Amino acid sequence: MGYVAAGYSFAFGGLALYALSIWWRGRRVGR
Amino acid sequence: MIIKLSQRLLGPVTLALLALTFWLGLWVTPPDKVQGDLVRLLYVHPAIAWVALYVSFGTSVIASCLYLWKRTRSATMDRIGYCAMEVSAIFLALTLITGSIWGRPTWGVWWAWDARLTSTAILLVFALGYLALRRANDDPELRARRSAVFAIIAAINVPIDHFSVDWWHTLHQGATVFTENGNFLVHGSMLVTLFVSLFAFTLLFFWLLRARYRLEVKRDVFYVASLDEALAQRRREGVH
Repeated sequence: MGYVAAGYSFAFGGLALYALSIWWRGRRVGR
Repeated sequence: MIIKLSQRLLGPVTLALLALTFWLGLWVTPPDKVQGDLVRLLYVHPAIAWVALYVSFGTSVIASCLYLWKRTRSATMDRIGYCAMEVSAIFLALTLITGSIWGRPTWGVWWAWDARLTSTAILLVFALGYLALRRANDDPELRARRSAVFAIIAAINVPIDHFSVDWWHTLHQGATVFTENGNFLVHGSMLVTLFVSLFAFTLLFFWLLRARYRLEVKRDVFYVASLDEALAQRRREGVH
């Protein structure tokens, strides 16, 4: 089950981090 | 009206479907007879690969073609091509990572120089190369034209990646959802979860693309405004 947890963590966590980076970059425009 | 409503619903529906994929994949579907619990990774990996290879890379290439065609050339097409490629790079990296995590207990290795794996890795290098090319030139038109041509050349690798499992003897399995006659090889809750995940990650791509596109527009507007401000400043200083 460790591999499954790792796979889901990378998949969902990675995409969440990318979404967060878009939001963060948006906030930095003009600063 | 319908477009506005669908734009407003895109985020909540995507999140709901992703949560459904998570729940179905980890709790509802049974373990596989051969793979056991490892089959749960296959509700995530193929959907991410589908978006990486076909949906996002495809969107970028179509937008690039439309940019190069004079009648449809616009900054919008350039931005879509760029933003979709950035999303594709993320999905390609996650395809390789999730595939590797599944491959280690199944094949006994994290990585193999297999045709499917290698061609996917090459596609990721192309996507990163495209993103590097975007930063290599400040002239917007030249940058847009060069990156559009690069995206189209890189797309040659997509059919190679797709058919690699048929053209070569690969460790990666071939088509496992449909038979050659079009019948399903996967059934019940496993099949439902597979389709829910494909739909959820496809919607996620469009949601991310929309957010990324808005960021790009915001950056362009700021760039033009700051350029105007700099020119006005120079004029005030008496430089013509």
